[in-house]
Amino acid sequence: MNMLYFLYIEFLAKYNIPQWFGDITFYFIPGIIIFFALLVVILFLVLIERKLLGWFTQRKGPNRVGLWGVLQTVADALKLLCKENITPDKSNKVLFNLAPILIFLPVIPILGIIPYSSEFTFVNLRTNMLIFIVFASLPVLCILLGGWASNNKYSLIGAVRNIAQILAFELPMAFTLIGIAALASSINLSDITLAQNNANGVVGWFIIPNIIGFIIMFICTLAELNRCPFDLPEAESELICGYNTEYSGMRFAMFYLSEYSMLFANTLFISVLFLGGYLSPFGKYLAPILLPESIGNVAIYFEQAFWLILKSFLIIFIVIWVRATLPRMASFDLLKFSWCWLLPISILNLFFIIILKCGGLCA
Amino acid sequence: MNNSRLKLNLGPQHPSTHGVLRLVLDLNGEKITACEPDVGYLHRGMEKMAEKLSYIQYLPLVDRIDYLAGFFYSELFCRSIENALEIELSNRIKAIRVMLLELNRIASHLLWIGAFLMDLGAVSPFFYAFRERELILQYFEKISGQRMMNNYFVFGGLRHDIFDLDDVEEILRILPEKIIDYENIITENPIFIQRTAQKGILEASDAINYGITGVNLRTSGFNFDLRKTDKLYDGYEFDTVVLENKDSWGRYKARVLEIKESIKIVAQAVANIKTNTIYEATKIKPVNLTIPEGEYCSEIEAPRGLASCFIISDGNKAPYRLKWRTGSYYAVNLLRKLLVGTYINDAIAIAGSLDIILPEVDK
Amino acid sequence: MKANLYDIQNIISNCVLQDDKIVLKSDLHNTIGLIKKNYGFDMLKEIIAIDHQKDGIELMYRLYSTENEEDLVISYTLSTSNEAESVTDIFSSAIADEREIYDLFGVNFLNHEDLKRLYMSENWQGNPLRKDYEQNN
Repeated sequence: MNMLYFLYIEFLAKYNIPQWFGDITFYFIPGIIIFFALLVVILFLVLIERKLLGWFTQRKGPNRVGLWGVLQTVADALKLLCKENITPDKSNKVLFNLAPILIFLPVIPILGIIPYSSEFTFVNLRTNMLIFIVFASLPVLCILLGGWASNNKYSLIGAVRNIAQILAFELPMAFTLIGIAALASSINLSDITLAQNNANGVVGWFIIPNIIGFIIMFICTLAELNRCPFDLPEAESELICGYNTEYSGMRFAMFYLSEYSMLFANTLFISVLFLGGYLSPFGKYLAPILLPESIGNVAIYFEQAFWLILKSFLIIFIVIWVRATLPRMASFDLLKFSWCWLLPISILNLFFIIILKCGGLCA
Repeated sequence: MNNSRLKLNLGPQHPSTHGVLRLVLDLNGEKITACEPDVGYLHRGMEKMAEKLSYIQYLPLVDRIDYLAGFFYSELFCRSIENALEIELSNRIKAIRVMLLELNRIASHLLWIGAFLMDLGAVSPFFYAFRERELILQYFEKISGQRMMNNYFVFGGLRHDIFDLDDVEEILRILPEKIIDYENIITENPIFIQRTAQKGILEASDAINYGITGVNLRTSGFNFDLRKTDKLYDGYEFDTVVLENKDSWGRYKARVLEIKESIKIVAQAVANIKTNTIYEATKIKPVNLTIPEGEYCSEIEAPRGLASCFIISDGNKAPYRLKWRTGSYYAVNLLRKLLVGTYINDAIAIAGSLDIILPEVDK
Repeated sequence: MKANLYDIQNIISNCVLQDDKIVLKSDLHNTIGLIKKNYGFDMLKEIIAIDHQKDGIELMYRLYSTENEEDLVISYTLSTSNEAESVTDIFSSAIADEREIYDLFGVNFLNHEDLKRLYMSENWQGNPLRKDYEQNN
């Protein structure tokens, strides 16, 4: 990042822009880049989900708008832009309008702390994992905000139910994360990635000693994202209005798109923790082998980012596969499942990992 | 807030395929304390129209009483007229009628499976069920020109002879394997069992008191199948599916088993058609047809229960009074009792398991 | 107990056997209750209402015994007051049937728990299935 800072200052100096301007604006650039990259990713993700669901149910997904349906999300966003923005009369207008904006914000810090390659991460803090936990829980507050500000009894019930569900799945996730931190002896995401470095590739990844942790983390991610089979708060909008009932038009689009951005962020996080982040599954990187010397040394960083995104999309595929297969769980059963089964299993798993680590079976 | 009493309106528009049924629920917190069904959104005046139209003019309308089981109501109407005019059908025509009736029953049950699982949140079985149903509907289109509402049965026979049975044999070959697919993905699925087992318990004595027949009654342990005493089904060997479960899961399982029994009947009917190769239909002059004075009643086991047609004729070209008795009419009435004391999560699932179709209710 | 129609006619004084159905002259509610209890007719398949213009409205109750597998038809003609006793406490399936007949024929059922129109909207005037119903568009 330092190198980029100096490049930026040099670039501005060519046009005689003072350095203090560069100092201030430099730290906004990552956010802007992430934001625009996020838009592209969301576009892609919404389309991928619909195409995959179509494939699982023997249909074609959207294929009319743009080649292979690529512009479908753009068409949807334009449609939602043209809809009327209704604000309920007695609602708290400031908070009502604030909720859909705030729900998009926590994703950007999360995407900023993930190590995309061994040299590059937008922000490198010592306690990356904790930052993730904090920001991943912020959308919950925005949901409560939206549900309460709608001035609709059933919106509030839906939002509260949603919070109960997310809280129930936070604890098993936290215990799993402690297990990972124990395995890697660090809570910095770059260190965790390096701790999975092994000449044989896949063998060193944390999914192998901690397979139960991976499954628990996967289930908790599904619950945090309100995805099937845990999407009762959303589907309940058939019967009792969910938290986003009173939202129409672009504000509804914000809630909808934020779900996909959180999906991407969460799956990136899981791939860093369990699947070795930017490490290659073959142990060695392919770029120096396949490409000539001069490009190969730089291409290695892009290859690392490529591996990371590939793993993340693998997990997204499994998430969509689960959605296509399973029916919804009812809310009481869901909470029972989390408190009575997931929590004890995750605690036992933590002990198991610590014993493995102390016994020296993993580095 | 939990102890508030509230009226919640369910419908008449549903995200799932229930038709235009409106349920007005009284809620006490989460539990339903009273349920009142409000029907009549699809009332077309079928019974009044019959008094003005001649018999042959009314025949195409009869399929539309239940669009998923059009052949059954067509058969009912034709049977009443044939009983009145004392017409005996030839064996080939009887065998063709049985084959088409049972294929229609399979199509109706397949759609129910898809719609029920869609209610519960699983999106794939809907498309798989439609894939199989498509084969049956394409065969109907081949022989009668229409996929549903075929208008194929006439008084004394059929509109014309069927010319090939290859498609039916293809269906008989493909369907049993696909049903195994459904069983694998749905029947033992723990989430599905959690949502449907022990929900919507219906005792046999209650069912009889409320006039419930068909699969709903047979799942409560009571053996009542009109096909066993129906002259049309003379000589066919099949088992009546009677289960002791009394809950929604039992109703699902009973319908899957009924599809298997219907496949057996279709196979026997195809064999009958091949042995009786002479097609003779009784010639009746349909224009200004009159039937002798009197009361004529015919009954049949439709997919949703006992269906009957009661005609009172006074010797004119239109009946004096025509009354339809359908299975879903009484199932909607049963919802008054069945939904009381359940949670609102389960309400849609229980209502869906009774297989209600609104055109039958509203006539 | 298998129902012998002549037996029923002898035991219940107010009915006449006509064309394989029992025609009641009065006391609808108690007779039907009696038939259900003594002869085991536990399912009411349907209630049919017929408008015989000058002769009044006739209600036909089609009963069925699940034990003995036999049908029984009971017919009851209403007087000009168009009122009848409700049988909803004997057969719950009558709740919907009687509402339909109230809606389409205008028959008032006494002691029905929730008598209101079923198909037509609440402020509809007239009874559509009557023979003298005029359609105003």
